[in-house]
Amino acid sequence: MGCIRFENVHRDFTRGGESFQALVDVNLEVADREFVAIVGPSGCGKTTLMRMVAGLEFPSAGRVTVDGHEITDAGPDRAVVFQAFALFPWKSVADNIGFGLKCKGLPQAQRSEVIARYIELMGLVGYENAFPHQLSGGMQQRVAIARSYALDPGVLLMDEPFGALDAQTRVVMQEELIRLARQNPRTVLFITHAVEEAVYLADRVVVMSRRPGRIKEIVDVGRVRRAEGWDRLDHIEEVMDTASFVHLRTHIWRLLREQQQVDAVAV
Amino acid sequence: MAEALSVPVVAVGAAARRARARSREAWLLPALGVLGFFALWQAVAMSGWVPERYLPGPLTVARTIVELSTKPYSGATLWGHLSSSLVRFGTGFALAAAIGIPLGLLMGWYRWLDDVVSPFFEALRFIAPIAWVPFAGLWFGTGIGGPTLVIFSGAFPPCLINAYRGAKYVDRRLVEAARTLGAGGPRIVAEVLLPASLPAIVAGLRVSAGIGWQSLIGAELIVVASGVGYMMVQGQLNVLTPVVMAGMVAIGIVGVVIDVVLRWFENRIRKSWGR
Amino acid sequence: MNGAAVPGTAAPPRAAAVPRRWTGQRRFFIGAAAFAIAIAAWFLLARLGVVSGGRFPTPSDVWRSARQIAFEPGYAGGTLWQHVFHSTRLVLLGFAVAIGTGVPLGLLMGTSRRADLLIGPIFSMLRPIPPLAWIPLAILWLGLGDGAKIFLIWVSAFTPALINTYAGVRSVDPTLIEAARVHGAGPGRLVRDVLVPGSLPMIFTGLRLSLQTAWMTLVAAELVGAFTGLGKVLATASLDINPGMILYAMAWVGVMGALSTKLLARIENKVLPWLKH
Repeated sequence: MGCIRFENVHRDFTRGGESFQALVDVNLEVADREFVAIVGPSGCGKTTLMRMVAGLEFPSAGRVTVDGHEITDAGPDRAVVFQAFALFPWKSVADNIGFGLKCKGLPQAQRSEVIARYIELMGLVGYENAFPHQLSGGMQQRVAIARSYALDPGVLLMDEPFGALDAQTRVVMQEELIRLARQNPRTVLFITHAVEEAVYLADRVVVMSRRPGRIKEIVDVGRVRRAEGWDRLDHIEEVMDTASFVHLRTHIWRLLREQQQVDAVAV
Repeated sequence: MAEALSVPVVAVGAAARRARARSREAWLLPALGVLGFFALWQAVAMSGWVPERYLPGPLTVARTIVELSTKPYSGATLWGHLSSSLVRFGTGFALAAAIGIPLGLLMGWYRWLDDVVSPFFEALRFIAPIAWVPFAGLWFGTGIGGPTLVIFSGAFPPCLINAYRGAKYVDRRLVEAARTLGAGGPRIVAEVLLPASLPAIVAGLRVSAGIGWQSLIGAELIVVASGVGYMMVQGQLNVLTPVVMAGMVAIGIVGVVIDVVLRWFENRIRKSWGR
Repeated sequence: MNGAAVPGTAAPPRAAAVPRRWTGQRRFFIGAAAFAIAIAAWFLLARLGVVSGGRFPTPSDVWRSARQIAFEPGYAGGTLWQHVFHSTRLVLLGFAVAIGTGVPLGLLMGTSRRADLLIGPIFSMLRPIPPLAWIPLAILWLGLGDGAKIFLIWVSAFTPALINTYAGVRSVDPTLIEAARVHGAGPGRLVRDVLVPGSLPMIFTGLRLSLQTAWMTLVAAELVGAFTGLGKVLATASLDINPGMILYAMAWVGVMGALSTKLLARIENKVLPWLKH
């Protein structure tokens, strides 16, 4: 239902008359309901990859398909959770969540039902009529996630969604997301530069190289999670304490650090 | 494999063509728009749908401007009228800046002065400059005092407000440094607040000049015997529409020139002050 | 003093050392005292005959004029209420037409690059001509009646409405537009639910400027030639050499200007509850 495929994807862009390669030779397949995180240094093009699936940007060469169809435009089947929340400041929480449903043409009664369901799911009860500026960062991001989930998308695209939150709120949101993903599994492409977050949340972690962005390695975290039984543990800190988690995290850090050393040598 | 190879070639071609079309549009559409405007104007004027007396075409207006440059109308050529207007504008504007800026700075520094002057300022601020015209005529007749008063009333508030804000919200540390070095009130105002507020003041001057130039027109429609506004009124009374339009063009162009000059000045200050 | 935001200035970084309430009260008393002294001086000078009724109004002049214009048959063809009412109606009419033309055009130019390139330059050419400079032309074309006044108000209010709508549309966070597209919003919904609400704050700024300019232009037009209105009162008082009436009418021009600004601010607060004020 939400199978993503990147085929020989290249992306160039020009700035000030000069041409840069953002992405080179990206081949990746994300299976239906798989949770894939993409990590990499700044400028490696990971956000660009997500935006190509969203239909907000297009490859210079190669194809990006979802369920075999090439992507031509943005749409509610590939919902996006933006880092800066992107909530409509002039709409209440309820109206923000219901926006996509309105675009689909759902009648008022059904909309209210769906909205109420997600308000409860994301712990926003009591804030239906509040405006975004009245909410904390964490609450706003909950609304953003609720808004995307309300579309019932085949694919969920998340662009460093917890990047703007403080450390404690971040942890809470990560646990919430895991809970949500277990309850309502769907294909997720999760962009982050926080390695621990990626290892905790994802089935597979794609490690990108520095610009021009290539896939350096794909780490199968899900296998380790199932083998080590992380899901039996209650809290994030317990998972992050296990030797297997630390091992994976360190492995990915080393991969990223290699990039920096390459830079140092080049300079 | 072959499929992958063919894609990049097509993509590059389409993207490049789009880019070329966009940059062509960037000059073509404006040119079309402007030309279309003049062409339409000329066509309507020539068609006689509106009598020529009331809607002269652009060519007629252009010709009138040239004529007025050498042949006087209502007492002076176009340039003569313009210089009368500019002299008035300059006087009112200079007066507004000369009083407004120092007063604003002082009010920003001396709280008691602010408390005393503010009520009067707030009360008078809302009266549109044009409303001063009757008193201007009453007190100054057709002399230069009248328009000067009107321009002053329009140009004064931005000068004052900007100087005030510049002084009031200056970086406290600069002021503290000056005090520890022994500077008293007046010196601080002159040698710390003034330079520190210069960018804000110059920005205010630009707004002030704009309002002043506009208010001048209002004054010249009524209480003077020379100047571009006067020329336009005479043109209107004698149903010489090209003269009226020529005046409008002249006013517009001078307004732009004044703004450009002040903008350049503002950029110079901003560059040398590094802000 | 509360200056309107002017370009080139910034907000204060530190709180005042003196407690706020005390500062506010002190300001009020000093200000009120200064004002009272000035008024008293005015009365005194008038009583002493230093200020005569010829050129400068005395308090009794103003009072007399106020009473005269308050009741039938009024002054310059009507009572104060009639003049103000007539002027206000014209301003609102012209203002409505200006918004009805300026805002949609601003939306169009803000969203369509082609429209912007095509229409923008024409507009940039006409913009430097101050609204007041259109008065002689308006009188030529439309005479001294209401039509000319509405045309002039339209000319003056159109520009700020257009410019600020345009700027408002362009200032809408592009991420919000992307979010709307992701949610499946078509062009109609995009304009209605994202671009218009997003540009409303700047549109309101434009409306405020429009309204002020409209009033100013109207009074100017009425001064030059009209049958009724505050400007007409000013013009007649001028010809009659009646400084008391001039001052009174001026005060009313100020009041109408202040009122319209405050009223618009009220409306803005109502319409934009979602803005952090």
